[in-house]
Amino acid sequence: MEPLYQYAWLIPVLPLLGALIVGFGLIAFSETTSKLRRPSAIFIMALMAIAMGHSLSLFWSQVQGHAPYTQMIEWAAAGNLHIAMGYVIDPLAALMLVIVTTVAFLVMLYSDGYMAHDAGYVRFFAYLSLFGSSMLGLVVSPNLVQVYIFWELVGMCSYLLIGFWYDRKSAAEAAQKAFVTNRVGDFGLLLGMVGLFWATGTFDFGGMGDRLTELVNTGLLSPSLAAILAILVFLGPVAKSAQFPLHVWLPDAMEGPTPISALIHAATMVAAGVFLIARMFPVFEQLPQVMTIIAWTGAFTAFMGATIAITQNDIKKSLAYSTISQLGYMVMGMGVGAYSAGLFHLMTHAYFKAMLFLGSGSVIHGMEGVVGHNPDLAQDMRYMGGLRKYMPITGATFLVGCLAISGVPPFAGFWSKDEILGAVFHANPAMWLLTWLTAGLTAFYMFRMYFMTFEGKFRNVPPELREHHDHHAAEPHESPWTMTLPLVVLAIPSTLMGFVGTPFNNLFEAFIHAPGEEMVAEHAVDLTEFLILGGSSVGIGLLGITVASLMYLKGTPSPQAIAKAIQPLYQFSLHKWYFDELYEAVFIKGCRRLARQVLEVDYNVVDGVVNLTGFVTMVTGEGLKYFQNGRAQFYALIVLLAVLGFVIFSVQA
Amino acid sequence: MSTFPWLTTIILFPMVASLAIPFIPDPTGKGRPIRWYALTVGLIDFALMVYAFTNFYDLNTPGMQLWESHDWIPEIGLRWSVGADGLSMPLILLTGFITTLAILAAWPVTLKPRLFYFLMLAMYGGQIAVFAVQDMLVFFLAWELELIPVYLLLAIWGGPKRQYAATKFILYTAGSSLFILVAGLAMAFYGDTISFDMQTLAAKDYAIGFQLLVYAGFLVAYGVKLPIVPLHTWLPDAHGEATAPVHMLLAGILLKMGGYALIRMNVDMLPAAHAKFAPVLVILGVVNIIYAALTSYAQRNLKRKIAYSSISHMGFVLIGIASFTNLGMSGAVLQMVSHGLIGASLFFLVGATYDRTHTLILEEMGGVGQKMKKIFAMFTACSLASLALPGMSGFVAELMVFIGFATSDAYSLPFRVIVVFLAAVGVILTPIYLLSMLREIFYGPENKELVEHEALVDAEPREVFIIACLLVPIIGIGLYPKLLTQIYDATTGQVIARVREVVPTLAQQVDQPLGTLVAPSLNSTSK
Repeated sequence: MEPLYQYAWLIPVLPLLGALIVGFGLIAFSETTSKLRRPSAIFIMALMAIAMGHSLSLFWSQVQGHAPYTQMIEWAAAGNLHIAMGYVIDPLAALMLVIVTTVAFLVMLYSDGYMAHDAGYVRFFAYLSLFGSSMLGLVVSPNLVQVYIFWELVGMCSYLLIGFWYDRKSAAEAAQKAFVTNRVGDFGLLLGMVGLFWATGTFDFGGMGDRLTELVNTGLLSPSLAAILAILVFLGPVAKSAQFPLHVWLPDAMEGPTPISALIHAATMVAAGVFLIARMFPVFEQLPQVMTIIAWTGAFTAFMGATIAITQNDIKKSLAYSTISQLGYMVMGMGVGAYSAGLFHLMTHAYFKAMLFLGSGSVIHGMEGVVGHNPDLAQDMRYMGGLRKYMPITGATFLVGCLAISGVPPFAGFWSKDEILGAVFHANPAMWLLTWLTAGLTAFYMFRMYFMTFEGKFRNVPPELREHHDHHAAEPHESPWTMTLPLVVLAIPSTLMGFVGTPFNNLFEAFIHAPGEEMVAEHAVDLTEFLILGGSSVGIGLLGITVASLMYLKGTPSPQAIAKAIQPLYQFSLHKWYFDELYEAVFIKGCRRLARQVLEVDYNVVDGVVNLTGFVTMVTGEGLKYFQNGRAQFYALIVLLAVLGFVIFSVQA
Repeated sequence: MSTFPWLTTIILFPMVASLAIPFIPDPTGKGRPIRWYALTVGLIDFALMVYAFTNFYDLNTPGMQLWESHDWIPEIGLRWSVGADGLSMPLILLTGFITTLAILAAWPVTLKPRLFYFLMLAMYGGQIAVFAVQDMLVFFLAWELELIPVYLLLAIWGGPKRQYAATKFILYTAGSSLFILVAGLAMAFYGDTISFDMQTLAAKDYAIGFQLLVYAGFLVAYGVKLPIVPLHTWLPDAHGEATAPVHMLLAGILLKMGGYALIRMNVDMLPAAHAKFAPVLVILGVVNIIYAALTSYAQRNLKRKIAYSSISHMGFVLIGIASFTNLGMSGAVLQMVSHGLIGASLFFLVGATYDRTHTLILEEMGGVGQKMKKIFAMFTACSLASLALPGMSGFVAELMVFIGFATSDAYSLPFRVIVVFLAAVGVILTPIYLLSMLREIFYGPENKELVEHEALVDAEPREVFIIACLLVPIIGIGLYPKLLTQIYDATTGQVIARVREVVPTLAQQVDQPLGTLVAPSLNSTSK
C-alpha cells in the first residue's frame, strides 16, 4: 500500500504528540512553558497543519476513486474473543478529516488573537490539540468500540474546555452538566453496543448490519429487540448532537471560550452524533421504526431549538440554540434516509456555523473593550447595535453566515437544507411542514441577531450597570487580523460550498452515499419539483428576514409589544421550555435525596448493627467481669450449677 | 528454569531488611536516613521481582511457576510452598510497585519514623506472601500477619478517630478470617488424605453440601476484605482516618486480596458451589456498584467519598468473577489491578490536598485550583481514570466485564439485561460524584477563609513523580490492554475452563433461544 494510507494514523497522533509535549512542559516546567506562548502555539498549529495537509491529500485520493483502506491491530483478547482497533479511510472518513482539520486550524489561528490576554493561553492550545487528536481518532474509527472510546475522549476535552475558566462557578457547573448529560447518552450507547455485540458477535459497522438483518429475517432475534438495541445506540447521538431531550447541556456549554464554541460545540464534536448515525446506517436502515424515531427526534429538536433561539438575548446562547436546531435538521435527514443530504448539511453547517461563532467571538472581543470582561454584559445583544460601522469585516462575514443558514440561494446552506427538506417532503409531509416553518423561524432569529448586533445605533450598557474602570474605550474596535482572517477564509466555503451538491450535478452525493447503495446513474432532476420546494423554502426564509427587519430595524411592530401580547408563549420560549427547571426538580434533586437517604441507611442501619454488636459485647463483658472475682468457691458453684443443669436437661430429653 | 528461590527471597528480603532499622543512625531524629533505607529496600525488592518474572516466567504456561516447596513443620503437614501463576504474578508486581511508591509518599511522616518504616517493610513482605503462598495454613498465617502492621499504622498515625477505626478494622477482618481457618481446616481434613497444599485441595472431590458451606465461609471472609456490601462499614472508617501511604496500601493492595482469594479458592477450588453462588455474587456486585456510588455522592468527607467509590468499583470484580466467561474473568482481574493503581493515586492526591487545606470537608474548600494548579491537573486526570474514561485502564476493565457478562451463557436473558442495565447506571453515577467533588474542591471563586488560614502551595516534584509513575501504567493499559491481559490470560482461561467443565448444568441453563446464538457468533469473530 502506498505510504499516504500507511501513515494515515499520524493524523490523530500528531496533534496528540503536540498536546503531550506542551502538557508535559506545563506540568514539569510550568513557569517557562507558560512564557513560551507563541512558540507553543506555532508548534501545535504546525502539527495541525501537517495533519490538514495529509487529510487533504487523502481526501483528494478518495475523490479520485481510491478504494477504502483499513488497517487493524489486535487490541484486547480473552480466550477466543478478540477486539481489534485500527483506522479506516473511506470517503466519509476523508470528508470528516478535512472538515475537522481545516476548522481546527482556523480556530487555532483565531485563538491566538482571542486568547491573547489570557493567562491560560498555552494550556488552551494544549487542550485544543488534544481535542483535535480525539476528534480525528473518532472519525477514522473502524468499529463501534473505538468510536465509543474517542466519543468519550472528545467529551472529556469538551469538559476541560467548558471549564477552562475554572474560577467561574457557572463554567464549572456547565462543564459538569455537559459531561454528565453526555454520560447519560453514552450509557445508552454502551448498552446498545454491548447488546448488539451479544446479538451479532461483532463491533464492525457493516458486519453488524448484515448479521442483524440475517437474525431478524430468520426469526432468531425479534425485530422489537433489535429496535431497542438500535435506539439505545441512538441515545449516544442524542446526547452528543444535543437532540431533545438531552439538549440541555449545549447552551450552558457556551461558558467556554468562544473559539471552543465554534470548534467543538458547533462544527465538529456535536456533529459526531450525525457521523455516528451515518456509520451505523447499515443497522438503522433495516429498522423502519427506529428510522421514524430518529427522524421525528430531529424534526422536533429543529423546531424546538428555533422557537427558543428567537427570544434569547445572549448572542452565544442564541447561536447555540440555532446549532441545536440545525443538528435537528441533519438528524431528521438521516432519519428519512437522506444519507448524503444529512452529511452535506453537516459539512456546510460546520463551515458557516464556525464562522458565525467566531464572528460572535469577534463581537464579544470588541465589546469587552467597552464594557469589560463580564460575559453578562459583553454578550448581551441588547447592549450592542451598529457594530458594522466599527467592525466591518466581522459584520460582512456574519451577514454571509446569516444568509447561508437562512437558506438564501446561492449560499451554501440553501442547497444542503433544501436537499433535506426535499427528502422529508417525500417521506412525510407533516414533518416537512413543521421543518419548513422552522426554516422561516431560522431566518427570523438569525436576522434578528444580525440587526440587533450590527445595524442601528450602538446602544452600550446603561451607565448604572457599567463597571467603573476608566480605561475602557467608548467604542468597540475591529479585531486583529489573526481573528478576521479565519472569518474571511470561512466565508468562502459558506458562500460557494453549496455548488458541489446542487440537484443538477450532485458531486457530493456521487462521492458520499449510504454504504451498499448503488448510485443511480444520473437520475433526472424534476425541475418543477425543485422549483416548487426550493421556491417555498426561499419564500419562507425571505418572509422571516422581512419580519425581522420590520421588527428590529424599523421597530414597527415593536418586539416588546408583541412579547407583551403573547406573554405566556414569550416566557415559555425565554425560559427554554422550562427544561432546566424540570430536570433540576426531578433528576438532580431526586438523585441527591436518594443518595442522602442511602447514606443515612448506611450509617444508621448497616453500621448501626455493627456498632450494636460491639456495644452488646462490651456490656455483656462488663457484666460478666463481676463473675470473675477470684473466689474459688464461687467458680465451683457455677460449675456445679452448670453440670446440674446439663443432667436435668439430658434426663428430660 | 532457575533453581534460585526467587519468591522466597522476594518475600523475606523486606522483612529481614526491616530488622536492621533500629540500628540505622538517625542524628536529627526526623528519620531521613531511615526513609532512604526503606525506599532502597523497596526498590531493590521491586527490581528483584521484575528480574525474576521477566527471566523465569513463561506467559503461556497457565500453571504455577517459580515453584518452591519445603517441609516446614512436617508433624502437622505444614509446608512452605510458594509459586506464581497468572493470577498472583500481576498482583505481586502491583504490590511491589504500590508499596514502593507508598514509601516515597510517606516522606512527610516524622512521628516515630523507625516504627513506621519497619511496619511498612513488614507489610511489604506480608502482602506478597498472601499472593504467593500455596499452602492453606500458611496463607491464613500470612493473611493474619499483614493485619497487624495495618492495625498499628492506623492506630498510631491515623486521624482523630483512629482508635475507633483501627479497632473496627481489626475486629472485622480478624473476626472474618476465622472463617478462612475453619473452612480451610475442613477442606484439609476432608476425605482420606490430609493436606494443606492448595493444589491438592483443589483436586479433591467435595460433596456439594460441603462445598456450599465452605464457599459461604470463604465468601464472608473475602467479602469483608473486598469489601462486599453490607460487610463494608470498616472501610470508610479506616480510610477516613488513615494517612496517605496507608491509604495507598489499603486501596491499592489489601482490597485486592479479597478478589484474589475469591478467584483462587471459591472459584478454582469449589467450582460446583460457585455455580450455585454465582448469581448471588452478581447481585451483590450490582448492589455494590449502585449503593456505594450513591453513598459516595452524599458523603461530604473527601476521604470517605473516595473510600465509597472504591467499594463501588469492586462491584465490577464480583460481576466479572461470576460471569463464567473468559472476558468477564479477565475484566475482573484487570479491574483489580487497575483500581489498585487508580485508587492509590486518588488517595495519595487526597492526602496531598489535605496536607495543604487541613480539612476534608468539601464545604470548607472551593477555588483551590487557582493556587494548586498541578494538583488540580493530576486530581482531574486521576478522577477521569476512576470514572472509566477510555484510554485509561478502568474503562477497559469495565468494558470487558460488561461484554463478558452480556455474552455469558450461564444466565437467562432477562437476568443479564437487568444486571447490565443496573451496572450501567453506575456509569452515570460515577461522573456525578467525582466531577461534583472536583468542582467543589477546585473550581469556582476561592474560599476566603481557607486562603487566609492555609498556605496552598502547589505540588512538589516528589508528588508529581508519584502520580506520573501511577498514570503511566494506567494509560498504558488503557491504550493497549494486551500489555496486562497477556500476563494472566492463560491462567484465567484455565480457571474458567475448569469451572465450565465441572458444571454440567451450564449448558442446560440456557433456555433462551438467543442464548444459542452466542457461541457460534463468538467463534466467528475469532478467526
